[in-house]
Order: sequence, then C-alpha cells, then structure tokens
Amino acid sequence: MLVWSGSVSAHLGSDLSSVQADSIVLHGVVRTTGLVDYDVHEIDAAAGLTVREFVTRGGTVFALSWAGPVPPDLQLLLGNYFGAYAAGLAALKTPGRNRSVRIALADLIVESSGHLRAYSGRAYLPALMPAGVSVADLR
Amino acid sequence: MRWMLHLGIVLAASLLAGSVLSACVGGNGTKAAASSPPPPPPPVLNTIALTIDGGPAAASGAINHGYVTLKVCAHGSATQCADIDHVLLDTGSWGLRLVGSVLAANKVALTNESDSSNRTIEECVTFGGGQTWGPVALADVTLAGEIATDLPIQVMDDTLAYAPPPSSCGANASLINSVSGFSANGVLGVGVFAQDCGAACVSAPSPMPLYYGCTAGAAGVCTAENVALTAQVTNPVAMFAADNNGIIVDLPALQNANGDATLQGSLIFGLGTQTDNALPANNLTVLGTNAAGDFTANFNGAAGLPAWIDSGADAYDFNDQSIATCASGGFVGYYCPTAAPLPLSAVNSGVGAFNASSTVQFAVNNPNFFVAGAAALAGLAGGGGSTTFVWGMPYFYGRKIYIGIDQRIAGVYTGPYFAY
Repeated sequence: MLVWSGSVSAHLGSDLSSVQADSIVLHGVVRTTGLVDYDVHEIDAAAGLTVREFVTRGGTVFALSWAGPVPPDLQLLLGNYFGAYAAGLAALKTPGRNRSVRIALADLIVESSGHLRAYSGRAYLPALMPAGVSVADLR
Repeated sequence: MRWMLHLGIVLAASLLAGSVLSACVGGNGTKAAASSPPPPPPPVLNTIALTIDGGPAAASGAINHGYVTLKVCAHGSATQCADIDHVLLDTGSWGLRLVGSVLAANKVALTNESDSSNRTIEECVTFGGGQTWGPVALADVTLAGEIATDLPIQVMDDTLAYAPPPSSCGANASLINSVSGFSANGVLGVGVFAQDCGAACVSAPSPMPLYYGCTAGAAGVCTAENVALTAQVTNPVAMFAADNNGIIVDLPALQNANGDATLQGSLIFGLGTQTDNALPANNLTVLGTNAAGDFTANFNGAAGLPAWIDSGADAYDFNDQSIATCASGGFVGYYCPTAAPLPLSAVNSGVGAFNASSTVQFAVNNPNFFVAGAAALAGLAGGGGSTTFVWGMPYFYGRKIYIGIDQRIAGVYTGPYFAY
C-alpha cells in the first residue's frame, strides 16, 4: 500500500524526525509502504540502486536492505554503527577476498554480497526488531 | 608488434610450405602439390598453469587462492615488461587489476587513461567488504601464447601516487590495494563479461560511482564520470585475437580431504576453438546468466538467489543460520559444522535461453580439522550474505568449469553463461 511520497528517510538506529540526509545524498525518490508492524521507506537512488529502510511504529530505523549495480555508501547508511561494522570487517581473516561478508555482533548484523554490476545486502539491529517481524521479511 | 609477430608466423609457414613443395617436386616431378592449400598456422598456446598455493611471499598463508603468472608490458614496449606471479584468478569479476608497487618494483610504468578534460581516469571497485582504488592504465598483457594489446587495466594505487579516493570509497581503512589485500600481486577477472561496468557506465545521466575523473597529482580531486566501453577495464580474454569466447578452469580433486599444500591445474582459453577446449556434446549443464552475470540458486528455503561460480571467493558463501560458525582460531566467520562433513544441496537454474536446472550436492567441512599450512581446502564454507549464493573455489576442485563471455558464440551456445 502506497501511503505517501516524500524525501524522508533515516540511517540505522536513528529516528525519522532528525534526518533527510540519505535520500538527499542518494538523490533518491522515496516511496513509503505501511505494514502492520512497521513501515518500509524505499529509496530509488541514482545509478539504479534501491535502498529500503525499515522503520518501527516508534519511528526508529531498525533495518536496511539494498540492491543495485553499485553498493551503497555504508558509512552514510549505517550511521553510528559504521565503526562497529568496520571493526568487524577488520577482524575477518581475509576481508577483501570474501565476495560475501557477514558481520554478526551482539547488537548489529550486516550482510553484504555481490560483484561488479550487482551488489546486495542488508543490515539490522536485532534488539529493535518489532515483535512478530521475521529476519526473512527484511528484503 | 602483434602484426609483426603474425607476419613472422605467416612467413615461417610459407617457407615451410615452400620446402614441402620442393620435396614434392623432387620426389615425383608432378605439379600436384602446387594446388594444395598452405598448411594452417600452428595453434596458439592457449593453456597456462593455475596453481593453488600459500600466496606471494609478502602475503603468505592464503587459502583457496588460484594463481597464474602473466607478462605485462607498457603498451607498445618490448623492453618495459615483467612477469608478474601470484595474480589471483577471479571468475567473479572482469578485467585485470595489478598492485601499483609491484609494477613499480618491476620497473613497468604504464600510461594512465585520461578523459576529454585531461583528467586521469580512476576507478573504485568493491570486492566483499573492501575497495580497490587507482588509475586505469594501458598495458600489453600476455597469457600463455595469447596477447591482449592496449588493454585497459586498473592499477591499485597502494602508494597513493595519484589522487586519493572520494570519501565513499575506502572509508575506515577498507582499501584493499596492497599485496596483502587479496594475498596476491593482482586480480585477473575472467568472468562472463568483456567490460567491468558495461553500458551502464557509458551515458548515465548521473554517472555511477565507479569511474572518476581526477585532477593531477597526489592531491587531485575526483568526480564520478561516464567512460566509453573501449576505455573501461576489460577482461583480457575478450581482447585476444583468437580463443576469445570464453575459458575453462580445470582443477583436479584434492588428494587429502583435510587439505593439500598445493594444487596444480590449468586455465584454458577459448571454447571449441582448439582441440584442447571442446565443449562436451553430452551431459553439459549450461547456466545462462542475467545482465549482471548471475544465474539463480534455490537453497535452504530461499528461491531464486542470485548465484555465480567464483574462483575469487575462497569458500562457498551462503547464509544458513542452522550451521555453527567458527568461534575461534583462524577461521572465524566461516562455518564449523558440529557433525562434519555436513551434506547439503542447492538447485542451480540458468536464466534466458540456457535455462537448465541442476541439483548440486556438496559438503561443508569443519576447517578446524584442516591440515595446518594447507592452501587448498575442500568444503570450506563462509557465513555469507543471505541475499546471494556463491559457488566459491571449493566448487572448482575435481571439475572443469566452462565460462562463456557475453555475446560470444561457441558452437550452439552464446554467452554469458557458466557450464559444468
């Protein structure tokens, strides 16, 4: 269900009222779909990249997913969590080699995969997942 | 240079034909031999050694890395050349990328590409969690007897000799430009496409954040820009004069289930172009790919995952939270099944005209049982992302993998496809 269109979005863990940065920086058009337990803001960004931001009823971004010919700027999308993600990457045995990485921390999961022409992934905060939402829904 | 070489071969062939003719005339005195066609030129050597070992001395300890040695020359130069060893074979990318300090140590100085504003063309490419960054330069590259002349390659600028990357590239020390980044002196991308970006980078209204035009010097400033197909970093196989429609990666099975110190196989150029690279007439599963280079895999309840066969990935990469991950030791982030080997299966399906389906049985080993120091490890699987399925290097062991390049024809097959 398409509820409204606008340029509101947020990075992981932040609230809706504070930021419009992602969609502006991504040069994106935002479409919002309201579901029972959360809203999905889909940003169709420049260069064919699609970013979905999953927002709780309380207005907090608890998950992101992305797919497109180039990867998103994770520094922007992960916000305050980017440092933890980068530290997790550095701890992997061969972070550059693996085509596909999964960083699983106590409060943050980041899955990133793909190759030239097709990148995809998702990031979520398990503690902030609304009750009844499955990880498999975060696509 | 290549024209001269070609001329030399023709000349040699003519001389050979001439001597055969003389022998004929001398033998029976007839003119029959004069109407015989000249013998075909000898086939180009199309096979190069593929070695799995611990990697270059500067970054040893690599696992499931397949390496080749190639010759790189500054374009048009016969003297500014070097053999570069331990270049990682990568069927999951397109184009050659060499570490800048390795080229410098071998005294090979390549000419960078420039755009119409005379800015240096540089590139940012994401591999897993890291990025390569550096200028696009022109080289003549020789693999076995095959030559790609005037080939655009990426120089991974590990010494920061050129403009630094934009903030979105290489944030928080995620650049993997050095030899340790890939445990390799370079990456040889020989997957299903000719160019690394393709049409999407030629005339996009808002250029992709992949190619950049950069002002000169180490303090240069870069902005994303479009780049013509012929200027994009290009799969050298697609530039060969012959044997340019695809490759075969041929590796034997391991001797030891818990890992071999080294493994020797072959990288063969061309499909159905010589006696050594025929496509099997029977029992060949051909998986066409989409415009991104992916077929699909059904695995663990997820249907239609983008999938590909990737010698640049050291493991099967997929997501299955029911398998324990390694908590400690040298394999943190990989799977450590409690009952190993763990048998699994996935269903691959081709996209487009070549839409075969094939169920693949495979097994995941517990890497804590691997032999210390082994470089070739079967059954290594990683906790990859849930959005894809990657058939990494373990899939190549004991198989011949055929890879057809986009729009190139081999018998009844037109690329892009993977086949086995």
